[in-house]
Amino acid sequence: MIIANPKKEKKYLNRDNVYLPHMVLIDKIIEETPSVRTIHFHFKDDQMNRDFTFEAGQFAELSVPGTGEATFCISSSPTRKGPLECCINRVGLVTNALHRLGVGAEMGFRGPYGNHFPLESMRGKNIVFVGGGIGLAPLRSLIWNILDERDKYGKIYIIYGARSAGDLCFKYDLDTWQQDKTISTVIAVDKADGNWTGKEGFVSAVLKEESPRADNAIAVLCGPPIMIRNTFPVLEELGFSPEQIFTTLEKKMKCGIGKCGRCNIGNLYVCRDGPVFSYAQIKSFISDEY
Amino acid sequence: MAVKKINKKNIAKVLAVWRREYNIIVPSMATDVPAFSEWDGEDISFLDWYRNTAVPPKSVVLPPMEKMMSFRKEKDGYKTEVSVNEDKQIIFGIRPCDAKGLAIIDDVFTNGYEDYYYASRRRNTLLIGLGCTNPQESCFCTSMDVDLATSKDVDIMFNDTGSEFIAEAFTAGGEYLLKITTGLKNATGTDMKTAKSVELEAKNKLTRALDTRGVSKKLQACFNNEDFWKQVAAKCVSCGICTFLCPTCFCFDINDEMVRKQGARYREWDSCSFRLYTRMPMENPREEKWRRVRQRVCHKFEFYPMNVDIFACTGCGRCIRLCPVNWDITRVIAGLPRQSDVKEKASALKG
Amino acid sequence: METELCNEAGRLLEEGAVDYVIGFAAGSLKFTTTPLITSDKNDTVNLVNNRFITNNLAKYLLEIKGRVGIIAKGCDSRSIVSLIQDKQVCREDIVIIGIPCAGLIDLAKVEKLVGKDRDLIDDINIADDKAVITIDGKKKGFEARQVLFDHCLSCEYPVPREYDVLIESPVNKIRDDEAGKKKIRELQKMTPERRWAYWKEQFKQCIRCYACREVCPACFCERCFVEESQPRWISPAPQWQDNLVFQVIRALHVAGRCTDCGECERVCPQNIPLRSMSAEMCDLVEELFDYKTGLDKSALPLMTSYEPVEAEGLIR
Repeated sequence: MIIANPKKEKKYLNRDNVYLPHMVLIDKIIEETPSVRTIHFHFKDDQMNRDFTFEAGQFAELSVPGTGEATFCISSSPTRKGPLECCINRVGLVTNALHRLGVGAEMGFRGPYGNHFPLESMRGKNIVFVGGGIGLAPLRSLIWNILDERDKYGKIYIIYGARSAGDLCFKYDLDTWQQDKTISTVIAVDKADGNWTGKEGFVSAVLKEESPRADNAIAVLCGPPIMIRNTFPVLEELGFSPEQIFTTLEKKMKCGIGKCGRCNIGNLYVCRDGPVFSYAQIKSFISDEY
Repeated sequence: MAVKKINKKNIAKVLAVWRREYNIIVPSMATDVPAFSEWDGEDISFLDWYRNTAVPPKSVVLPPMEKMMSFRKEKDGYKTEVSVNEDKQIIFGIRPCDAKGLAIIDDVFTNGYEDYYYASRRRNTLLIGLGCTNPQESCFCTSMDVDLATSKDVDIMFNDTGSEFIAEAFTAGGEYLLKITTGLKNATGTDMKTAKSVELEAKNKLTRALDTRGVSKKLQACFNNEDFWKQVAAKCVSCGICTFLCPTCFCFDINDEMVRKQGARYREWDSCSFRLYTRMPMENPREEKWRRVRQRVCHKFEFYPMNVDIFACTGCGRCIRLCPVNWDITRVIAGLPRQSDVKEKASALKG
Repeated sequence: METELCNEAGRLLEEGAVDYVIGFAAGSLKFTTTPLITSDKNDTVNLVNNRFITNNLAKYLLEIKGRVGIIAKGCDSRSIVSLIQDKQVCREDIVIIGIPCAGLIDLAKVEKLVGKDRDLIDDINIADDKAVITIDGKKKGFEARQVLFDHCLSCEYPVPREYDVLIESPVNKIRDDEAGKKKIRELQKMTPERRWAYWKEQFKQCIRCYACREVCPACFCERCFVEESQPRWISPAPQWQDNLVFQVIRALHVAGRCTDCGECERVCPQNIPLRSMSAEMCDLVEELFDYKTGLDKSALPLMTSYEPVEAEGLIR
């Protein structure tokens, strides 16, 4: 007995089949670090290129047919038509295969899935971005989204760090943001080498130093779990309430649509109820598995 | 439609009528374990020995493995072909516990994004329920709000009256099946009474119970009680039997294969009991066994009910009966610390 | 006999000789037992010793660190010795309470014999070489060998050879290797084509629950070969080809470590006759290397040690 009138999702289905990927072609590859690359791609189907939209914070399932599928946030901004971008860290079977693809190669794409950053509630506010390593990828989508509608938002702070200078991602964006007088951009590395002239230290420590004001502000953070866990208390100390803090959580995913079961934190599924969560929601999680 | 009755000697004839339009799937011992498989057209001896199968009938609509699509790399790119099973089929003899499990899986797989493969099989499947007459010592369905004699999750419900079955249709699909079986007599008041007394006799045979009152709250309270969960998990060996044989479990994995230019994407059963289930490159939130055991118990009795207000357990007892170490969910739930007993201290027992 | 066992286990905990005791307690179903893992001396009164103590408790030594008292049948104690040889367990850390075993009752065999499910049987009793099964108050007599596990019929070591304490009890061991290896001999008589067809049918039923692997003390790899993705040796999906490869490679990996405890076959929910692979492997190991698992804790493990006098000429 199938539930009569279930809530049906139908967006961007390929032949009505949520598991059937759309095929995309790689336009451009940027090697961010020795293990991280950004892939720019577009759909083979022109209708999809015209119709496809998404919101900052959402993710997609990219696949190399015959090797497998993996989850990546969309790091390009929804405000820009043109190639979509995903940032890929080479750590396993599928990501290694994705790193072997060249320009013109074909991949599978399923998405966009998940919820998104609550842009409406950010209007008119100051936004503090705190990112670590490859965690800048989902933030980048939101940053460019906001910068493309600049007058709808207040001051912007970007505090970003990585393990070393060689691990910094999106250096071309970092340069642009540093040149932008309306953004306060601070970049730090955990361990500086001889050539690094910027700040040294963990992102949470740098945040404490910069101490952006909490009134009328929203903080958005993304990075390795330890960085997120260490940054929450700093933000709270600065006066941010848990409702003012947002992050995007990462868990092992497969289906991306709340069916295969593995990405749950308690009764919530990161692919369906997340990946964007407020700290207030996280504090009320009934499970500590994040 | 009136309740019909069918003499057990005529079941083969009835199934043969249905077989003209549907594949018939019945309990069988062909593989040396009770399992649902395609009817051979003759043998209905399962009516004598069938209590319940090892692998539940969820395997008919959510098989242990299915091919989702095949790829072929050609000059102008990948050609993808989707394979889906849309054969009309009848599962004959599904027990109320398994039918409820299927309804739970229906809900997950058809809400939100519809699971293409599951939905294709499921919408072409009719369920003929069969009330229990001889529950096993591992059964505790009545504790989980399942009635061993009836189910609202089937198309037709068969109940035993001794030499006959009474058959009540609940859906249009069920009514159709009874309609095309010409010559069925209506069940009499006596038939109904006999069925009721068989039902009562069966219910009296149940020996196992589970008190679900307040279980979600108790689980919430002891979530961080590492000591308690390590004790509960100590003898578990982290195989997949309880999850694979559970009528409500549905977790799966998706994997690809490719040989030269041809390949396919498959999905297969996966288990939250497996250590690698939640493993990511940098961390595994459930590396330790006690976390996985906790996840399984809490998913069934706390997390799932929070979303859908039904326990994700129908009391079929397979997990107890077939567990290699006789890990018993009814004992675990009965042993949950009362809220006042919650203690949190470190333990020397690792793993 | 049970009292002696409980007292011994309780004493070990009381005196602080061990942190944990691993043994068997009564199960929650008829004719079952369940592993008892406890640090509480009061729990030891629940220890049982009967004809249903099937689990190979040696497996738990891989995860319970510290000093452990472990109840061991003959096959279990050989598994423990094998783990000691592979340096997975430290002999000084464990106190082995050996219990002689005259063979365990195979409930699947009993069910086939009497045509009734186990929960509809009142009692199963073995005295000497006779078995009595009581159903609905009526007793039926059988030969004991008809209800014992095949691997018990083949067992040559009913009394543990490695122990710290041996619980005394008379062991009326029935040995019938022919009956115990009947299924294997039948397979050996088949042509390769027929045998292939046989295993193909069997492995079509495998659902890759990995119970066989998880109950086996010889499988102590932190990461099993089936879990490797780079390279991916076999598909995680349960196609019969991959299932067969999984089992064959597992049989090869446990060669020299398997003690024919029969757990893999007992726990398989699909009744795949796995012992027909692992027991034959034991025979092959004995035939090729004159080696039986778990008899000498100071011996080098068979498959992972190399000596310059190796028979294979290709390694110099």
